[in-house]
Amino acid sequence: MSKQPTRANGASTKRLAEDGGASPLSKSLHGLSLQHASRPPAVADSSSDICPVCKSSRYLNPNMQFKVNPECYHKMCESCVDRIFSHGPAPCPIAGCARTLRKAKFRRQTFEDLKVEREVDIRRRVAGAMNKKEEDFETLMDYNDYLEQVEEITWNLILKVDVEATEGRLRRWEDHQKAELNPNARRREFDSSVPTDHVVLKKGATQRKTAAPASTPQTIANEMNEDIGFKFHGLKKRVAPPPEAPFDPFGGWSIAPQYYVLQDDYEVDWLTNQKNDVKHSVGGYDMRDFYNRSLREAFGGFGVFIEDEINARGTPSLDPHVGTKQAASVAVGARDVNMDDVF
Amino acid sequence: MKLSEDDIYRTSTQFNHWSFTTQQLAAQRLKTNMQATERVKANVARQRAQRLQQAESDSLSSGVENGSGANTPLPDRSSDVKEVDCLTAEEELMIVDEFCERALALGAHCQFPTEVTASCVQFLRRFYLYNSPMTYHGQNISRTAMFLACKTENAHQSVETFATNFSKTTAEQILAPEYVIVQGLRFQFDVKHPFRGLKGGHLELVEMARGSYEGPNNIEDGMTSADLQARMLTLPRKAHEPSAKTSMQDMEKRLTSAYGFASHILKNAALLTDAYFLYTPSHIWLSSHLLADEPLTLFYLSIKLPSHSPLYIKLLSTLRSCAALLSSHRTFNAQRSPDVDAKHKARVKQLIEKLKSCRDPDKVDLVKLNQAQKRDAVEGEGGFDESKAKRRKVERETYQKESDNFWGPELPKA
Ligand SMILES: [Zn+2]
Ligand SMILES: [Zn+2]
Repeated sequence: MSKQPTRANGASTKRLAEDGGASPLSKSLHGLSLQHASRPPAVADSSSDICPVCKSSRYLNPNMQFKVNPECYHKMCESCVDRIFSHGPAPCPIAGCARTLRKAKFRRQTFEDLKVEREVDIRRRVAGAMNKKEEDFETLMDYNDYLEQVEEITWNLILKVDVEATEGRLRRWEDHQKAELNPNARRREFDSSVPTDHVVLKKGATQRKTAAPASTPQTIANEMNEDIGFKFHGLKKRVAPPPEAPFDPFGGWSIAPQYYVLQDDYEVDWLTNQKNDVKHSVGGYDMRDFYNRSLREAFGGFGVFIEDEINARGTPSLDPHVGTKQAASVAVGARDVNMDDVF
Repeated sequence: MKLSEDDIYRTSTQFNHWSFTTQQLAAQRLKTNMQATERVKANVARQRAQRLQQAESDSLSSGVENGSGANTPLPDRSSDVKEVDCLTAEEELMIVDEFCERALALGAHCQFPTEVTASCVQFLRRFYLYNSPMTYHGQNISRTAMFLACKTENAHQSVETFATNFSKTTAEQILAPEYVIVQGLRFQFDVKHPFRGLKGGHLELVEMARGSYEGPNNIEDGMTSADLQARMLTLPRKAHEPSAKTSMQDMEKRLTSAYGFASHILKNAALLTDAYFLYTPSHIWLSSHLLADEPLTLFYLSIKLPSHSPLYIKLLSTLRSCAALLSSHRTFNAQRSPDVDAKHKARVKQLIEKLKSCRDPDKVDLVKLNQAQKRDAVEGEGGFDESKAKRRKVERETYQKESDNFWGPELPKA
């Protein structure tokens, strides 16, 4: 222990000397601050070093860690969390709270001030639901109005004004957004509604049958004036991206024969063996591939007149920029095909 | 975006880089010949000077060896006076043709598929368009071209197996000029042959004869395939003859024999002429079919194109000129006079003799050159510095000189 401060002091003296010298007081102060900095950041308040539930203190158990649950932000030590919530949800042990907490939701606090911690959580939650961007609105004005409304929602939650109603609206908005992004998920939701009336419909299958189609227009009507939680002025309707076209390895090109039409079969004696050969057919060999290829080759260049086309293209066919550099120089005739080397 | 058969052909390397007009072909051959002649003359002169020097220094150093060494330098000195008699462009072409014919025989001997032999012949023709047989001897090149063709046409054999087709030939000898050829071909191995096209045409003709053809029809509007069949069965047997009725069986026989004859032309005359350079594979098979059975082919064409369209007229004149080229070849006539053959053989023999006296001395031993090249390739990986490069060049030259001395100059045949 004694070594560390001296070394730290030594370092600080050096630095101070570089700064051009300072009073011994500031020197010692600096040393003190360094000593503080070397310790892990601890909460200054000594009362917070004692678990409000089991009253054990950090002094006796240096490895003690505190956790909070965003449900009520009551702080307790890790061993209390393990002890109380390991067997499933349980009420908060802090007097006068009694909210039901789950172990999975407990976490280490990020901010020293629990109010800040809570506000950050709320903002994160609201931002998750309200994720529109400027380009989603018709005008900048609309976007700004939207932002203001979002801020209002946030403050309502933070200040606990109309929490229940706001939460409900927020949830409905989230569901609506999700449904808009993924229409299939929404359909599944309707299916899940079936088991709920199932209890009622159990009495008679006929009743159920009539009920099922009846629900369809109802859902459509629901869709029309469905409460989606919020209404924002100037919000563009989300346009679903066009379905991805199937991959085309030829980039839209296809072969359209000009001079022949491929028939399914051609009757010729010299092909009967191949046609009936199991060794060919078992490997997936299709005679039509052969027909197509031979006909394509029969007319490949049918309307190509070499002399005309060469004269038309003007440049001689002996294009020197072909193949490798050496092959090109050979083509030009500058050098012989190269076995004579690089010199 | 649609592609027609012609568009597809236009994308091929055969069309883009290996199609020429007759003038272009002749000009290129002349150019190749002139360059090769220059090089041969220069190299021969240099070698003679070197040898002379060597002989003189030898005679100075020891009088004893002079007696035994006299054999070799003596004819050399006498020939020193006369210029090397190089091949002309026409003679070169004749030699190339000869090696193409030999390649055909070789393919038949090894029982390679037609495509292999045909590709080999085309590789040879393409290669010798930019290289002279004086520089690279046809015998070496054609073996390797055949080996390459085996690989490109999916009939691969190992070099060792391939080498057993020849007497006194090692795998190394086959591999030595491979890279030279591949470069000469500009790495373009795809040769579009007319063989499969001929089969395709035959398929359609048979369908027409059976009255089940479904393709385009330009003869008359509203003609059914049965009408087409009826029309086909009344075609004249030969050009400029009155029409004659035939049965379907006879028509099929006629189609088969036309196919056989056309395919014979494609396997011989088409390969041994410049047809591949001057015409598209479609034109080549149609011309050979035209030679085999004119009325049938004309009928077929009139179905494909309206007979008064400019395209039809243009096509027909192209086919006729291609047919003229094909039929001008010696192999076209099955019962050609032995006299012509003998004359041709004598001429070729004479040319090959002549070639022996005007080969580029630098390119005689391809195996050695290949080794030298490879050795450099390995050594030179780390980049060249000037002195190292120079030293290696000197080393190689002395190496070549020594080996020249060891074997001595080629003995003149009586
Ligand atoms: Zn505790
Ligand atoms: Zn609580």
